[in-house]
Amino acid sequence: MPSKYERFKIETKPAPHVYQIPNKFDVSARKVRLAAMLVHEAFEYKLNKEVVLSRPCIYGVFGGRFGGFKPLKHKCVGCMRCVQEYPHIMTVKHSDSYKRLGDSFWTPEAVFTILNEASTGKIPVKGMGYKGAFGGEGFDGIWTDMSEIVRPTRDGVYGREYISTSVDVGRKPTSVDFSKIDRASSTIEIPVPIIFDKLSAGNGDVRAAVGMAAEKLGTFYVSRERTPFDFGQESLIPIGNEEGIEDLVERPPAIVEYDAEKSDLFEKLASRLPSSIVIARLPLREDSGMIACKLAHEGVHGLHLYADYHGQDYSKEPQHISASLKEVHQQLVKGGLRDQVTLIASGGITLAEHVPKAIICGADLVGIDTTVLVALQAEFRGETRDRANCQLKPRKIDPEWGAQRLVNLFGVWHDQLIEILSAMGIRDVRRLRGDIGRSMMDAELRELSFKGIAWAT
Amino acid sequence: MGNLELIVEKHSERIHHGLEVLPNLRHGLPEGLGNKRWTAELILATYEMALTGDLPKNGLEYKTGNSGGGFDVLGWKNNGSAKVESDKIDLSIELNKRDDGKKITIPLPIYGGGMSFGSISLNFMLARARAAKRLNTFMSTGEGGYPDDIVPYRDHVITQVATGMFGVREETIQYAPIVEFKYAQGAKPGLGGHLLADKVTSEVAKMRESSMFTSLYSPFPFHSVYSVEDHKKHVDWIKTVNPRALVSVKVSTPTDVDMVAIGSYHAGANIIHIDGGYGGTGAAPEIAKKNIAMPVEYAIPKVHDYLMSEGVRDEIVLIASGGIRTADDIAKAIALGADGCVVATAEAIAVGCTHCGNCERGRGCQVGITTTDPELSRFIEPEWGETRIVNLFTAWSKRLRSILAGFGLENVRDLRGRRDLLVRYK
Ligand code: SF4
Ligand code: SF4
Repeated sequence: MPSKYERFKIETKPAPHVYQIPNKFDVSARKVRLAAMLVHEAFEYKLNKEVVLSRPCIYGVFGGRFGGFKPLKHKCVGCMRCVQEYPHIMTVKHSDSYKRLGDSFWTPEAVFTILNEASTGKIPVKGMGYKGAFGGEGFDGIWTDMSEIVRPTRDGVYGREYISTSVDVGRKPTSVDFSKIDRASSTIEIPVPIIFDKLSAGNGDVRAAVGMAAEKLGTFYVSRERTPFDFGQESLIPIGNEEGIEDLVERPPAIVEYDAEKSDLFEKLASRLPSSIVIARLPLREDSGMIACKLAHEGVHGLHLYADYHGQDYSKEPQHISASLKEVHQQLVKGGLRDQVTLIASGGITLAEHVPKAIICGADLVGIDTTVLVALQAEFRGETRDRANCQLKPRKIDPEWGAQRLVNLFGVWHDQLIEILSAMGIRDVRRLRGDIGRSMMDAELRELSFKGIAWAT
Repeated sequence: MGNLELIVEKHSERIHHGLEVLPNLRHGLPEGLGNKRWTAELILATYEMALTGDLPKNGLEYKTGNSGGGFDVLGWKNNGSAKVESDKIDLSIELNKRDDGKKITIPLPIYGGGMSFGSISLNFMLARARAAKRLNTFMSTGEGGYPDDIVPYRDHVITQVATGMFGVREETIQYAPIVEFKYAQGAKPGLGGHLLADKVTSEVAKMRESSMFTSLYSPFPFHSVYSVEDHKKHVDWIKTVNPRALVSVKVSTPTDVDMVAIGSYHAGANIIHIDGGYGGTGAAPEIAKKNIAMPVEYAIPKVHDYLMSEGVRDEIVLIASGGIRTADDIAKAIALGADGCVVATAEAIAVGCTHCGNCERGRGCQVGITTTDPELSRFIEPEWGETRIVNLFTAWSKRLRSILAGFGLENVRDLRGRRDLLVRYK
């Protein structure tokens, strides 16, 4: 009997921060003026305590024992009403510790977004419009399309119709081979188009959290070494090498990656691990399209293309992963090879919106890296760009807590992916792959729309 | 007077006083105020204009924000001194360019966008309706229904018909000089609306004919519309119920926004209203506002040029919204090809909004704008709000006149599509 149908859903639950995060806002009162104001109001309201002590903050920042003299800064949401009411007394600004968060790529806002998504499992929602920069570079310069009327019947994340976020990993046959029709499929379906990429920094707790989360989510994680834990073993994508082949043969993984420059490794892995999906791992460069075609011809099942942690590729003149991915995807399409290999993209995919955008640029799925560490409250000690020298230092964590944070993150990203697909009227994320026509590029639109407008001199 | 009254009065006075003194910068520019789109200066300049009805005189930046793109990288060609006397300049636009139907002219190329009862306070809604009456323009109900209190202003109120159909009744369509179909909105393009349970008070529930403190969803899209023909049925329905009403079609800005516009024209719409993603007042997922659909700056020329090439541009009114913050934004939108603009956030800023984005937290807006909290709502007395909105638009019309005067244009309609008057900054 077929098993009962269950709609895919990621169960999120609160996993509050265990290390204190900086207050976003720094509230302070000029104490002498505050005291003078209280005296003044005491006269004005004839010592009516309730009125005199009624405070401008509806978030309880002045609700502590010492009121405005010792504001409860962590409660401040930056609404600015205290400044509006008492401009001569109150100052509210972004705190220095908030402004120091992140590095040249990770903005404080992005760090806060990930921390909040991981702790609450809820989509960030705000009122009164967008507050950031106009378009921009890389993923910021891409808008996704929407459909006014023609689309599945859905209400955002509260939807009635199912939108699939599943993707297949592995090589797909180009035609039906009737002699092998009774064999199991050589692809693996994962419910969200996201895996955990190898972390360049991570202690045992972090690795355990990642393994646990991958298992719960039905996704995979890439790692050079096997973890010593019982859980997560089925979700591991090891990076195979010559010396380790025998170990892998003993316990064949569902998916295995290898460094593409070791050119004879594919044959060896594919022959010794016939049931595994073998994926070549290679840095994105100017010649990645050509190499991708060559590898696809040789029969690899997939390609894991990575940029640095800031999303820049390794070309002589580095470009954003969105541009290099498009080139690889298009070369594979031209060569008639695109449907034969799975493309995994990683590096600089750090926010929920980057997932659909990377897929639009040609990836089937993405790998996340520094975001995992940020969600687990790792500390920024410098630039995070270099894969070999990432300055995000993990802290000691409880793996169960860490796993829940990562499950929350996936839950929120899944919901946001659904929002994007839903707005486009697309029911299946597989249909988004390489669909540049359902996106809008800042650079192109600017030239089209502002055509004929002279440059200021 | 009871304590509650005294407390409301105290804070109301303080907030109003703060809005008066903050723009004079005696206490400096508040560091935590504003963001790239609505900078602290722009917010304070808006407070100042709402107070005086004039442009700021102390150097506060009132023309552009700091978003690094769109309107913020467009400026005006150097045009020397005024070539037309300001008071000779006509800022009015027609809202019906078709041969049939009622002719409606508004004296400024601006009207107020949809903000629903429930998502905003009744007092703020009343302030907007009163201001629309005084300025002889319009404001839109949004999709939250038509409170009885705004019926006296009905000649200046646009009834919005959205997917939830809240408050859409025969009489509210019959009241309306303009009926606005909201197919989509910029802040949540392609997504449904969601009013959190906390905001569904007894009044809101009554208005929307629903249950108290239960979340309300408006689905997306109209489940009765899957083609231009279906859309035409919608337009016919409204014209049957109220033959005098003009029909506006509010849409978001997808890649094929030009096709949507021409479809609306063929369905019989009088106004095509394109709403870009960077504006909006309702709470929306951050991912939607930043990433879905194109900014209105890019959509306006696309639609304008396409309607021109189809030879119908002079039969339909193109209104732009979603990120229009200043008089300069309005003039730039018109120079890019719009006839006029819809604004909403700027009206909220005029009455004290800080663009903090906390509208959906706890009791709602701390200064009484996006809230149904009975105490907080009282910070905006309708008369006070009306004056501030009227003042803001008065100051804006001065700026619009000065831009037109510099180019020797006597009529705002002559600015439409004049991209040659703009310059781009890197
Ligand atoms: S800014 Fe708002 S939240 Fe922060 S202390 Fe002032 S009133 Fe309270
Ligand atoms: S909560 Fe903030 S953004 Fe929302 S209306 Fe009030 S002041 Fe404006």
